[in-house]
Amino acid sequence: MQYQMNEFLFSMILTELEDAVGKENCSTRTIDKVTHSVDYYWLSRMWADRGCRMPEADIVVSPLNATEVSKVLKIANYYKLPVTTWGAGGGTQGGAIPVAGGILLDTKRMNQIFEVNTEGMYIECGTGAIYKHIEYAANEVGKATMHYPSSLTCSTVGGFLAHRGIGVVSTKYGKIDDMVLQMEVVLPNGDIINTSSAPKHAAGPDLNQIFIGSEGTLGVITKAQIRIFDQPEERRFRGFLFQDMTGAFKASRELLQKFKPSVMRLYDEAETASLIKKIVGVERKGAFMNVAYEGVKEMVEVEEKILLDTFAKYGAEDLGSEYGKKWWDEKITFFYPGHMMDIPQMFGTMDTIAPYGKIEEIYWAMKEAIETNFPQAKFIAHFSHWYEWGAMVYDRFIIEGKDVPEDPVEALRLHQAVWTCGVRAALAHGGVVNDHHGVGIKLGRLMKEQYGPAMQVFENLKKTLDPNGIMNPFKLGL
Amino acid sequence: MNMSEKCKQHVDSCRFCWMCHHICPVGNATGHERSTPRARALGISMVNRGAIDLSEIMDNVYECAGCGACVDVCVTGWDPVMFAKETRLQAALEGKLPEYINALVDNCLDKGNAYAATALCDKLTAAIEKHSAKTDTLLFLGVDARYKVCKQAVKAIEVLEKAGVEFTVLADEPASGAQLDYLIGAADETKQQMSAAAAVLNGFKTVVMYDPQDATAIKRTYKEYGIDVTASAVTYTSFVAGLLKDGKLEAKRSDKDVVFQDPFQLARDLEETDEAREIVMSYAVLGEMLLNRNETVWAGNLLMAEYMPEVIKKVAARRIFNATSINAKTIVTASVSEYAALKSVEQSDVEILSLEDLILG
Repeated sequence: MQYQMNEFLFSMILTELEDAVGKENCSTRTIDKVTHSVDYYWLSRMWADRGCRMPEADIVVSPLNATEVSKVLKIANYYKLPVTTWGAGGGTQGGAIPVAGGILLDTKRMNQIFEVNTEGMYIECGTGAIYKHIEYAANEVGKATMHYPSSLTCSTVGGFLAHRGIGVVSTKYGKIDDMVLQMEVVLPNGDIINTSSAPKHAAGPDLNQIFIGSEGTLGVITKAQIRIFDQPEERRFRGFLFQDMTGAFKASRELLQKFKPSVMRLYDEAETASLIKKIVGVERKGAFMNVAYEGVKEMVEVEEKILLDTFAKYGAEDLGSEYGKKWWDEKITFFYPGHMMDIPQMFGTMDTIAPYGKIEEIYWAMKEAIETNFPQAKFIAHFSHWYEWGAMVYDRFIIEGKDVPEDPVEALRLHQAVWTCGVRAALAHGGVVNDHHGVGIKLGRLMKEQYGPAMQVFENLKKTLDPNGIMNPFKLGL
Repeated sequence: MNMSEKCKQHVDSCRFCWMCHHICPVGNATGHERSTPRARALGISMVNRGAIDLSEIMDNVYECAGCGACVDVCVTGWDPVMFAKETRLQAALEGKLPEYINALVDNCLDKGNAYAATALCDKLTAAIEKHSAKTDTLLFLGVDARYKVCKQAVKAIEVLEKAGVEFTVLADEPASGAQLDYLIGAADETKQQMSAAAAVLNGFKTVVMYDPQDATAIKRTYKEYGIDVTASAVTYTSFVAGLLKDGKLEAKRSDKDVVFQDPFQLARDLEETDEAREIVMSYAVLGEMLLNRNETVWAGNLLMAEYMPEVIKKVAARRIFNATSINAKTIVTASVSEYAALKSVEQSDVEILSLEDLILG
């Protein structure tokens, strides 16, 4: 047992938790503890691959609803036990790993779909629902969630909210923080609250946005109303090849002042020559870009003309619809074992975001920082979420297995060094710590560097809501 | 653990992959993270690395239904069912099976079924007696129908009688080996039971398999294990669909709205999805749940209900929820085991029918 207490007290606490959530939903079994100790974070995977056991929770609980979550948090507060909230474990930042032991609160029993409301255009669900299941529910009534990350099948509604996730059609439909109407949250003291009944108002600051992205450090989101949309009458694709990324940025910035496509993805030359070649079949030099536009058919016709005219001005070669469609069909294939980077390789995605005028500079700065300081690393990137004012870069480093230390601690040191170097380069040129994977334990140390004195806002919120510091310790830099 | 290199490769590919996290019917029903293919793979990989003992993961390995939903959605062909089965075999060989599994295995070896049942119900005994004479066609009922849902076994016989088929039913029907295969995989005992069954089946020209789990075993697993079946093996659904086509069964289409629950053995293992629909559409109006045919969601079974009954009820209840989500009032099943699981759900307004119920009215 990692949390310091005697066996007698541990057994007492266990019986209290069993009373709160039911014996069958309260576990100290090895398989449950091991399962919740490894998420999608490279370091946890590497640790397990080396045959080492990651830090584990002492007790795994699976509450059914806010009432049971409340009971668990009251018990945890009384005994001052750490509580780490777990969605489905698909996060890349180690946000769900119970590094301090204590209680692991798995949300997946809270997977109920309470209401599919086609008038208000939302689904009310427990946050333990896998997002794909929400998509199924929307599809059953001819609607769609339009939140399609590669982790659609891997992650819960709560997981996406906790880490401010994003999907591939975000440019038109928005990020997860645009997808929520109302939420139910259990505060660390066990109080159950609801955010305002509509997400746009002038009744003070937006409570939703305080908890979205808080990564389980300020409470547990237990229920959410998630937006749904009409299925588009038409969805069209167009692939383009730019000579260089600068032209693509200018073309895209201009396009976004005119209309919002659903998908916009620009790949740097290195990723065009590797992943795009392998999965989509584009065997050309340059920067591949895929654009999808959708909605009412007449409007799609007009948008297509605007797209082709705008991109032609900047020298884009029109590759037709075939590659774009192929990309759409294969968009999740990229992430399956055999296509995706995997152990023994070391890799990471250092996504960041900035206004036009900075984002390309950030790309080159990060590329230079990584390739100069870590010549064993390969750097590839794409730009996949676009706004009228800027874009995000999804840049990745890859170190082949032969260059990764066998010793897990040495591998950890190298991993930390690469990340610190890359993210600091982003921050130095106007980027942020992360765009849509969150902070977790991976990047907590860099939050103060980004926010400076603004960090006290988060810290004071944390102290007020969670005075015993039980909620997801050591995450988010809090 | 003495695991094959092929299995190790699948385990190590799946242990850090979340892409099928949404699909496991057991995981979705329990909400427990361990009930996912990636968790199972992680546990096995940690055993392979000496970090935990095999005995600590075996309960979890027996939470896999083997329904293959995860295999079906994997675009790169990794197979969590395969490594779950091999882990069970290795645990059996190393003497590390959970006690409750050992008991089921012993029952299969001693009595030919996991339930240790020996007596058939009176109605079924009488129905079988009428078909004890040797013919070219054997109706193979399977242990679930014979010992657990004998009412449906009787109806299966009545459907063939109605069509005027000459057929045999064995009073001492051998075990197909499907249950042992689920419990301990490709063990010698499993193969011996299958070989013994094949010897009996081969005494007929045609074998009609009522239970889809036996159909998968006889049509697919026997081949994998090198066991020769010379009889023509057909599923009950395809046989009955043929009777309808030939006009031997009268189609009486009502305006009853139903959905069909594809058994995974037919839909995924044997790629048979049209035949049952042809039957359903001859007697009712067919609607579809969102996940149907090869995407079907397993609705529970009788064998796992022996050691995790509450979970099986949750699995079945979740499938009923899928039906109610599209306002379906009736689910038609082609698996006697799923029929029993769905029937076990209390407080459900959804009617559960078998194909035989539909045909016989």
